Amino acid sequence: MLETSFLNNIGLEHYLVLSAVLFSLGMAGVLLRRNLIVLMMSIELMLNAINISFVAFSKFNNNPEGQVMVFFVMTIAAAEAAVGLALAVSIFKRFKEVNIRFFEHLKG
Amino acid sequence: MSVDAILFWILTLVVLVSAMSVILMTNPIYSALCLAMTMVGVAAIFVTLNAYFLAGVQLIVYAGAVMVLFVMVLMLFDLKHELQSFSRGKFTGALKIGSVGILAGLIVGAVTIGKSLTEVKAVAENAVVVDTTKILSQNLFLKNIFGFEALGVLLLVIAVGTVALSRSKGGTHARD
Repeated sequence: MLETSFLNNIGLEHYLVLSAVLFSLGMAGVLLRRNLIVLMMSIELMLNAINISFVAFSKFNNNPEGQVMVFFVMTIAAAEAAVGLALAVSIFKRFKEVNIRFFEHLKG
Repeated sequence: MSVDAILFWILTLVVLVSAMSVILMTNPIYSALCLAMTMVGVAAIFVTLNAYFLAGVQLIVYAGAVMVLFVMVLMLFDLKHELQSFSRGKFTGALKIGSVGILAGLIVGAVTIGKSLTEVKAVAENAVVVDTTKILSQNLFLKNIFGFEALGVLLLVIAVGTVALSRSKGGTHARD
């Protein structure tokens, strides 16, 4: 009885749990991968997880401010991807690889 | 099982499986394709949440523009083999996975414990009009117009900065 109601009634907490798991996957990607491009893809995953929870709260609270915030997050994510990829290109020009350990040479 | 529930579970499966393959694939091109699949799944989840305009923007901006940017840079690099795609060290790896698991468990636990708080609001949402695009645009252009303009300025700065960064000789590492 309990299981069927859990499966049937999709509520706010379902979306929040999905968002949490997606965020954790992105965080695992950032911690575990060494390729800069894949690292930035993981950051995009985390931003998408946050977007899901924003939209879910916006729907279940009847408040459109959450969707406006998703707009802002999307713009920031696009800007962040552009800057990060430009940095990756400059790292690749110098080292012929985009491993994250080359970023320790960035100072100076 | 209602159609909404089936749709939600299928979309959850698609999103989580493709997100997991983003971080598990060793070839970055496959990672990029799985990320595009994740973006499409997230856009479909936005549709189930009545955020139709955001779903379109998600498809155009993320699955379109950002993914094209990623794939173009990957093609520029010509990365075929990837050595050391994962960080070294078994102990630190286990520590990282454990900390991620603890974070996920904490959030899920907090959400399920606070379930009684959210159930009250879920009842009220049945009486909602679903014209969310109009409400969204009114909110964006009447109440948050300053943030909108600030984002425009930010995008200009980012565009100039990106061009300057990639045009300078050797990028951040001037080869003398």
